[in-house]
Amino acid sequence: MKMKKLTAVLLTAMMTISMAGCGSASQGTSQESTADSAPKQEQPAETASATETAEQASGPVELTVTTTFAGEDSNAQNYKNAVADWEAATGNTVSDTSATSDETFKTRIITDFETGSEPDVLFFFNGADANDFVNAGKVVSIDEIRSEFPDYASNMNDDLIAASPADGVKYAVPVNGYWEAMFVNTEVLDAAGVAMPGADYTWDQFLEDCQKIKDAGYAPIAAALGNIPHYWWEFAIFNQQTPDNHLDIPTSADDATGSQWVAGLEDIKDLYERGYFPDNTLSATDDETFAMFTDGKAAFLLDGSWKVGGIVGSCQSDPDDPATLDADKLSHFDVTYFPGKGNRRTTDMIGGLSMGYYITTKAWEDPDKKAAAVSFVSHMTSDEVVPLFAQHTASALKNAPVVDESRFNALQVKAMSMMSGVTSLTGAVQDLFNGDCRVSTFDGMPDIVVGNVSAADAVQEGIDVYEDTLE
Amino acid sequence: MTDGADAPPVIILKGVTMSNIYKSRKYVILFLAPAFLFLIVYLYYPFFVNIYGSFRQIKNLGSYGTRWNDPLLENYIKLFTDPVVFTSLKNTFFMIIATIFGQVGIALVLSLLVDNIERGTQFFRTVYFFPIVISATALGLLFNLIFLYDKGMLNQFLELFGKADLTDWKGEKLAIFTMVLPVVWQYVGFYFVILETGLNNISQELYESAAIDGATRLQRVFYISIPLLRNVICTCMTLGVTGALKVFDLPWTMFPKGMPLKETFLTGTYMYYQTMEAKNVDYGSTLAILIVVLGVIISKVTRSVFRESEDI
Repeated sequence: MKMKKLTAVLLTAMMTISMAGCGSASQGTSQESTADSAPKQEQPAETASATETAEQASGPVELTVTTTFAGEDSNAQNYKNAVADWEAATGNTVSDTSATSDETFKTRIITDFETGSEPDVLFFFNGADANDFVNAGKVVSIDEIRSEFPDYASNMNDDLIAASPADGVKYAVPVNGYWEAMFVNTEVLDAAGVAMPGADYTWDQFLEDCQKIKDAGYAPIAAALGNIPHYWWEFAIFNQQTPDNHLDIPTSADDATGSQWVAGLEDIKDLYERGYFPDNTLSATDDETFAMFTDGKAAFLLDGSWKVGGIVGSCQSDPDDPATLDADKLSHFDVTYFPGKGNRRTTDMIGGLSMGYYITTKAWEDPDKKAAAVSFVSHMTSDEVVPLFAQHTASALKNAPVVDESRFNALQVKAMSMMSGVTSLTGAVQDLFNGDCRVSTFDGMPDIVVGNVSAADAVQEGIDVYEDTLE
Repeated sequence: MTDGADAPPVIILKGVTMSNIYKSRKYVILFLAPAFLFLIVYLYYPFFVNIYGSFRQIKNLGSYGTRWNDPLLENYIKLFTDPVVFTSLKNTFFMIIATIFGQVGIALVLSLLVDNIERGTQFFRTVYFFPIVISATALGLLFNLIFLYDKGMLNQFLELFGKADLTDWKGEKLAIFTMVLPVVWQYVGFYFVILETGLNNISQELYESAAIDGATRLQRVFYISIPLLRNVICTCMTLGVTGALKVFDLPWTMFPKGMPLKETFLTGTYMYYQTMEAKNVDYGSTLAILIVVLGVIISKVTRSVFRESEDI
């Protein structure tokens, strides 16, 4: 009996102590970290190579890294290889939480920052989507990093590194550029008797071709409007504008820019009403409509340069093994400009360097991780790694190597050919019209196209949210 | 066991003898304190902060917002005018009905059937219970493949039977059915096991004497099994209804953002969407309050409707 009483008292004491312990554990670690940080800050800053930088760390560390190099991204495998090389060279490890870039990914990242669970290194957009964590001081500027590691991103052309729209300071070290264009399944075009669109392709010709493709029993456009309407949103608006004014944000739905946005969304509604999107466009995921395109059930796919890898992967019996590529199947895919309308030339494209590597303040202030984070980003943005990622897109390297087309597959060569005819490359306005402002026209796209909500109301709702964020 | 009562206390804790440990309220409070503190910190405090947040304008998690809403009741007014709230309430009630008739109803039929077989009871218990141990997210992905528009399992079956055009199971017309079906399927086994255990507790003598009196199997079910299972069925109903209010993961995996056309939102998924996706944190807080109020009311109603009988 005495033992039972004693056990009861001890258990109670342990429960209470364990609760108190939960609260104090992190405090203790934090104090230790602070104590550790003092001597580390005195270390010399002159570091040359990525490996040397990594060696400054007290021992192997694990970095948490999040990027968009995942899924069907062209560089998913390149990323895995580059990470493995860095891990082998430094002895450090990477805990990777990369995911396909979409609105959910962006929301996840922003939420991670808000809840204090951000990664150590982040490959993310350098536009307005990063405003929240930039304003909160949760990422470190390139200048601040250079004050301690002078060689950081020194191989980059600083003029090509985009500054944050939040404060005009540069945070993200870019790797590869991007472009957005229209991929084409030429097998479907042939079956429908439609010619491959070229540099003078107009919106009216596009509508005509879509009708022919639909009449032939195919879906003209592979797009999931209920999931990823981004690309259509961007180009439909761009088609009402010119490269000079595309990055303007409207102040109301009925001002000049607002009217252009409304007209762009009305064009998407028109395409929907004509039945040019797949029957299940409102309930399908992007993966489903992409599969329709690669399976020869849809003709056009508006997407980004990162989709080249996905298309090539769909032509391989083993998506991870380029040796299994079915070259004949790949030859049925091509890429071209989005049909032009009004004052926008067909060859005016959307693209640029919209993403880059951030080092978070959390990693920067952790003496064990600081050098490793710098080392990691230095490795991933080195002269050797960047060209592997850039391929048929631009980079910000000072000494960009000459592109060796002999190493490209057929679709990459076609992409290079298309890019050689580009008349202008403009950034995406959605990168300036951040997250919650886009909800009414992105998540609301199905309601717009079926007529539940007018395009003007949806645009105005987004502008109202944008105005709120400026306050 | 006699030493505690007879022997003098030997352990002294701050002047209190151990023999008084179960008599003194201090120790009861000591035992209750950790759990109570935990609830205060992680349930009640956030709940009251949530109420506060519903009156503020909050864009980011982890902050109390920049200013008060203008008008102060803006979110509560919106709650009554937002058509998606109405849709999500409608879907949640549909989910409750589906739970009662689908989960508990099917589980009851299955348990009665299994109770009437002599061998293989354990096998069916395992088979029916199995979906419970699979993560709802994995089940969502599985059902996504089953209901896939192009090359989905169901549409391929229908093609085999000569159906020419594809059915959009996740489209506007069928989305609710497609969402509810996997949820019902997942939990049937849970209630099956509870009901089956209840049936096992009914004395076999009752069945035997009824059989001697000439009662058919069906009569035995209606006049012995179901009446004696009343309390177990009531417990299942209460669990089912309150569980239906909290369903989130499987519907969200299959129908993120209320796809299509915000037709598949439940109260929980809509709150999550507003908070995490639309970044309308204060409105999400208001929806959370709606869910709590709804939960309290429905729990009360459920408990009074499905009140257990003390006569059994």
